[in-house]
Amino acid sequence: MRYLILGASATGLSAAGAIRQNDPWGDITVLSGDRHIYSRCLLPDVLAGRRDAAAARFVPEDFLRRNGVRWAGGVKAVKLLPEEKGVAADNGDKFFYDKLLIATGSSSYLPPVENINRGRQVYGLRNLEDVWDITRAAGNCRQAVIMGGGLVGVDAAVSLNEKGLAVVIVEIAGHILPLQLDQRAAASYEALFRNRGIEIITGEMMNRIILDDRQNVTGVQLKSGRVIPCGLVVAATGVRPNIDFLEGTPVEVGRGIKVNEYQETSYPDIYAAGDVCESLEVFTGKVAPTPIWPLAVLQGQVAGTNMAGGRRKIVNNFAFKNSMEFYGLNTVSFGFPEAPDTSYTTYIMESPGSYKKYIFKDGCLRGAILQGDISRAGVTGALIRKNTPVGVAPGKLFDLNYAYFFNQRENGEFVL
Amino acid sequence: MLRIFIKPELCAGCKNCQVTCLAEHSPSRSVWLVNLSDQGSRPRNFVELNNEGQPVPLSCRHCDEPECVNSCMSGALYKDPATGIVAHNPEQCAGCWMCVMSCPFGMIFPDARENKVSVKCDFCAGRDKPRCVEACLTGAITLIEVPSSNIDGKYPNLARGE
Repeated sequence: MRYLILGASATGLSAAGAIRQNDPWGDITVLSGDRHIYSRCLLPDVLAGRRDAAAARFVPEDFLRRNGVRWAGGVKAVKLLPEEKGVAADNGDKFFYDKLLIATGSSSYLPPVENINRGRQVYGLRNLEDVWDITRAAGNCRQAVIMGGGLVGVDAAVSLNEKGLAVVIVEIAGHILPLQLDQRAAASYEALFRNRGIEIITGEMMNRIILDDRQNVTGVQLKSGRVIPCGLVVAATGVRPNIDFLEGTPVEVGRGIKVNEYQETSYPDIYAAGDVCESLEVFTGKVAPTPIWPLAVLQGQVAGTNMAGGRRKIVNNFAFKNSMEFYGLNTVSFGFPEAPDTSYTTYIMESPGSYKKYIFKDGCLRGAILQGDISRAGVTGALIRKNTPVGVAPGKLFDLNYAYFFNQRENGEFVL
Repeated sequence: MLRIFIKPELCAGCKNCQVTCLAEHSPSRSVWLVNLSDQGSRPRNFVELNNEGQPVPLSCRHCDEPECVNSCMSGALYKDPATGIVAHNPEQCAGCWMCVMSCPFGMIFPDARENKVSVKCDFCAGRDKPRCVEACLTGAITLIEVPSSNIDGKYPNLARGE
């Protein structure tokens, strides 16, 4: 059996491991646009200089050898040829398969802002190459503007601040991290960032990137007309799945490649998993992209197992969870950061350095933010994922721990 | 693999398990010398009261399908296929807290002193028996031998080591 995996990040490599455990003799090839294996989540650490690129590897040095995986790094798929069960690559080679996994992930999305595609120092923070490009540009300027105050934008801001640059974050919502936090939890971070000299502008949008006659970035102009001089713009305004090479093929695509609960696409023998696909998400009950690391790994395992002849369905495809740490302040959040309407009840407990918020509907937890002490946060997350009545008095909420839900299998495993 | 099995009805809430865990992970490893008032040291197990007021001793289960391992974006967490232990390498840990967010049982948390890396039960690596099992006077914390579905290759992960 010939297995071809496109992509060498969390999804691709967890699928490779799953295939090997289910098929000792199969022929596995990983085709990756990346020359090296690295964790995209560690790129802010590499940018800040906290970790070198080699230490951004998330699998052991001998992972490929031990699993008997053929490595085709720095080679990009440019065209899927489903009739001949092949993939054409940018180096002119064709790769053939019996089972194909598309795990090509996603790319930084550049919003329609004037000059964004012409400016030479406009980068996403998605690939190791972005880190080198940003580092080079950062060496030639004193101020950077970050477009978007989500997790990637804030990570980039902190990293560039650590490198000694003045940094300005421009966020369209009323506070930073709007998908993860409420106003109160975000305010704690905004205060920390401002203390470190990071400027935060909320409720604002980029109008245009200002260039000199050689297309070098010299500043940005906001919707209000304000001009911020800078030599570098980091675009952190979301991602788009890498699906260009599927154009003209019968593989069905929505906001990502459509898959069923076995990670099968609409076309025989082709699977998709991770950021590149959209799947049925359990918190919303809707089909959507699920671009978080834990689900990239899980979906890769499910795809790999099924490609190698198993029959494993995905369970717990839960994407509404976030964790973060900036300047020593920890936060974990799940589900809704704010109650969507008045049919929800919110419980809040605040003390210096700590903020906890629980959002209920009909006895079920639908959202939570834990800032400060985050130990045992996962119990709250599991209750939200489960969406069943919690049965704990509100007074005990702020001390939620597994003793309340203790349930042990015969083999000593816990269940929640 | 060996796994801790809990009989909460036998737990007297003495917290001996917590004290020996603290000791094992302190420089001296001694219950007599461990600094109990040090806010920076924290046991990897704990005893909590359930809804009925019954104490329940809790620690990591070293799950067959560990969600902490699946959530680890740095490669610091891995399930050792030989022992079944879910191990953590602090050198590789990035302190992103995705494991803290993902463990449904709350059995891995930020280290109390530096807040830089996660800590969890290491099954007292190198000892025949975890200290909490030895220290439990009532038999609430016991050891059982269980087959590991992971070793059967049913649920693979990005495990390292052999």
